Amino acid sequence: MIPMLVTIRRRRPGGRWRRLAVPVLPVLLVLSPLLLLAVLAGLVACLVFRVNPAQALAVAGRVAGALPGTLIEVDDGRTALRISVR
Amino acid sequence: MSECEQRMNEQRRQILQMLADGKITAGEAERLLDALDREKPASPRARPRYLRVLVSWDDDFDGPGRVNVRVPLQLLRAGVRLASLLPPQALARANDELARSGVPIDLTQLKPQHLDDLVEHLDDLTVDVDQPDAKVRLYCE
Repeated sequence: MIPMLVTIRRRRPGGRWRRLAVPVLPVLLVLSPLLLLAVLAGLVACLVFRVNPAQALAVAGRVAGALPGTLIEVDDGRTALRISVR
Repeated sequence: MSECEQRMNEQRRQILQMLADGKITAGEAERLLDALDREKPASPRARPRYLRVLVSWDDDFDGPGRVNVRVPLQLLRAGVRLASLLPPQALARANDELARSGVPIDLTQLKPQHLDDLVEHLDDLTVDVDQPDAKVRLYCE
């Protein structure tokens, strides 16, 4: 299952939190033309470096599928950043 | 249902059958069932799903800080697969750099199976580093 929602929260020195929620699937749909170009570029790179493209695609899928549950929190003095992948 | 559970259910059924047939008394059946429960193996420990890295420090200028990272172990396994796609030229260059830095590891000898085993055994890993002004904790949960 690919990530569905990426949440980014940032605390500014003033103490106010800013929150950005990125719904992955709609964003991927909007960016699908660019995604197609990226896949083509990846395919060319695989051929140049003699890597099996099917294997590379499968591994990329596994990495994307394993991302949900990732959490990164950084608090440093008055600033903070939280990234959560669900 | 495991083979062990099936065997225990069968034994329980036999005890109840002997009670129904009048071969044993209710007290004896109770004692036998208690003994059977004591034999029940402990439930297996739930497998950890995440690698947690906690770092905290206290800085004189910026004050306290904290880093909390939770990485799914599945992501590590996928990353291992990703590493196995590295072309031989890249591995050779990485070997050269590692040797130059005093880490003589031949990455070409690392097989995905070895790395999978490494990730598997991370389950039992716990690293604690305590310093007066900083703490690092790494464990699986």
